[in-house]
Amino acid sequence: MNFSKQLKEGLITQNPVLVQLLGMCSTLAITTSFFNGLGMGISVTVILTLSNIFISLLRKIIPNEVRIACYIVVIAGFVTCVDLILKAFVPALSNSLGVFIPLIVVNCIILGRAEAFASKNGVGAATLDGICQGIGYTIVLIIMCVFRELLGAGTFGGGLLGGGELGAAPGLRIIPEQFGIKILTMPVGGFLTLGALIAAMQWALSKSEKKKKEAK
Amino acid sequence: MKISPKFVLKVAGTLTIISLITAALLGVVDGVTRDKIAEIEAEKTRQAMSIVAPAGSEFTDKLDIPAEAAAAAAAQGGKVLELYGVKAGGCVMKISASGSQGSIVMMVGVDANNAITGISVVSHAETSGIGTKVCGNELNDAGVPVLDQFIGMSGAGTLEVKKNITPITTATVSTKGITTGANAALAAAEALG
Repeated sequence: MNFSKQLKEGLITQNPVLVQLLGMCSTLAITTSFFNGLGMGISVTVILTLSNIFISLLRKIIPNEVRIACYIVVIAGFVTCVDLILKAFVPALSNSLGVFIPLIVVNCIILGRAEAFASKNGVGAATLDGICQGIGYTIVLIIMCVFRELLGAGTFGGGLLGGGELGAAPGLRIIPEQFGIKILTMPVGGFLTLGALIAAMQWALSKSEKKKKEAK
Repeated sequence: MKISPKFVLKVAGTLTIISLITAALLGVVDGVTRDKIAEIEAEKTRQAMSIVAPAGSEFTDKLDIPAEAAAAAAAQGGKVLELYGVKAGGCVMKISASGSQGSIVMMVGVDANNAITGISVVSHAETSGIGTKVCGNELNDAGVPVLDQFIGMSGAGTLEVKKNITPITTATVSTKGITTGANAALAAAEALG
């Protein structure tokens, strides 16, 4: 169990979105305001950690032949719990994220980590993995939200800052509205932003690898 | 290939037990959140009703939906979920119509002359940042709040996107969903007489 190594993997070298290319669908769809990104990130982190813990606990009991079915049952259970809790206690977030909360069931990050990590490692390591991968996912979401919101709509912190109700707050205006690059707030802008981020990540990773080789 | 009964029992048994535990957990969470969610939904319904009816309206309790009204709404592609009378005349209906990602549930107020007095979205699954603009009553391409443009319109089946209804660019399908609901509400109101 090595916290700093797992954190580094989750954030950088094995980042779920930018390196493993998992969970693209929700990443593209919901990164339109800071509030959405943060809410989605926290929801996924909680579900990922819980499902990792349980799947790691059950890894010796679950027969290999039906493991995927068991994982899906566990994951779907937690997703429904989070969905109900959000509906009851944070209705603004539940309204804003709409169908993407129930869709976490099929978010490949969760099934991917269950299959690749939690089913092969102890509870402690699996918990850490869930938290670190979740943080990695959340940070990418937030970067995309801030980028698309700031350059697309010219605001920062939409849904949270700038007065008004939670989820309906307009955000702080930083760039006048007429200078916003509207296309960034549309789905195509999501693809462009994500593509640019993945490219930047790959460039940085290959550069640091080269350096390591040269040092040897 | 021979499969031993013991193996089948083990596989099926494990899956059953895991499902049962998950179901029990869900039951607990549902027990905690059910009342809270129902309360939020009821509050939303009350708010949505007062938005779509003229200011100061008083409402009757939930009414039974006559078969003719349900059939008339279905012919327009919508479904009447709930019906409330407005004491000063007219009614408020909760209508479900399909949007771009599933059903949009909306409140539609209709006055005694069968003209729309307001539309408000109760729940939906539209795409965040796109269809949600329509549900949030943001400005349409003509600069009018997209749901408010329906106010005063009448004639079931005559409302049509890009003809007399202006959508929000990129959210045309969601606007069409609202228009279907509006037509269905008018049809039901006409059937009610």
